[in-house]
Amino acid sequence: MMSPESMDAVFQALASATRREMLDIVRNDPGLSVGAVAQRFDVSRVAVMRHLSVLEEAGLIISDKRGRTRHLYMNAVPIQMIHDRWSSEYSGLWAGRMLDIKHLAEQRRAREGRDDEAETDAQKTGEPS
Amino acid sequence: MTDAIAKHLPGEVRTSMYRVIIKASIDQVWSELIRTDRPMPFFFNGQYDTPGLGEGAAFAMRTPDGKHTLVMGKVIEFEPPHRYAHTFRFTTSDDPVSIVRYVLKEVEGGVEFTLINEHAASDPVSKSEKQMAQGAKFICENLKALVETGKATMGGRMMLFMFSLMAPITPKAALSSNWPLERAPDLSEISQAAEEA
Repeated sequence: MMSPESMDAVFQALASATRREMLDIVRNDPGLSVGAVAQRFDVSRVAVMRHLSVLEEAGLIISDKRGRTRHLYMNAVPIQMIHDRWSSEYSGLWAGRMLDIKHLAEQRRAREGRDDEAETDAQKTGEPS
Repeated sequence: MTDAIAKHLPGEVRTSMYRVIIKASIDQVWSELIRTDRPMPFFFNGQYDTPGLGEGAAFAMRTPDGKHTLVMGKVIEFEPPHRYAHTFRFTTSDDPVSIVRYVLKEVEGGVEFTLINEHAASDPVSKSEKQMAQGAKFICENLKALVETGKATMGGRMMLFMFSLMAPITPKAALSSNWPLERAPDLSEISQAAEEA
């Protein structure tokens, strides 16, 4: 699904406490400008821009240019895809459980249906009701 | 305020964005996105019921058997194959109406697909808004999978399967008989909600 290169980019982007903090800031305040993010850090604006571009290239931040200002949004899709990459096996397990429940429910319904017409059914199938 | 095909919310907007790169042509992605002839696995198996997608058109997103309706909306922007936007409300809640936008852009190696949710900032964050945030990730991921591989993701298919099991317990409020196309929400319903707040 996700190419190995894209996945590398996400992990590399997240392998920095500063960038994770930037991601938190943008997530909590969608549409924040680059300048507003830069204000929260002691490092130079250039360094902030560099971090942001790493996040953007990994697809974790979307920047939307309106007029002269770039507004930033967190994009959770890459993280979701990585999550699903390792967890969908487990959803397979769950689906199996759900199937069991479905079969049980259907058996019960069929049995209850038979109880209503117990006599005719028993005669037809010869099964104990 | 009665302009049904105005393209933007009048007041301040709370925006969230979701993006994925799809390895395909822009026409392939667009045609999957606006497909009306069969259920869309990336949209929770909803199927469009509409006289035809185009600016101003009303639609209902119904279950494959047509019995239930998940979502109602009205198209506010339709510019193939780049931009599509519509009003949005779930049938199962009275939460404020919002806007969903899809923006497609050709980039190196494929198409950049962006899904944007817009809510009036004056409305508090609703349960619908939270559900849409979850749904948006599902849509991006599974539209990508469908276009690139011909089917939804493993997790997506499991979820659709569980949905089908839950069909018998869908709330009565979602019955399609309650949701004729006339009930598709206008953009003006959002600004009204915003003014009341």
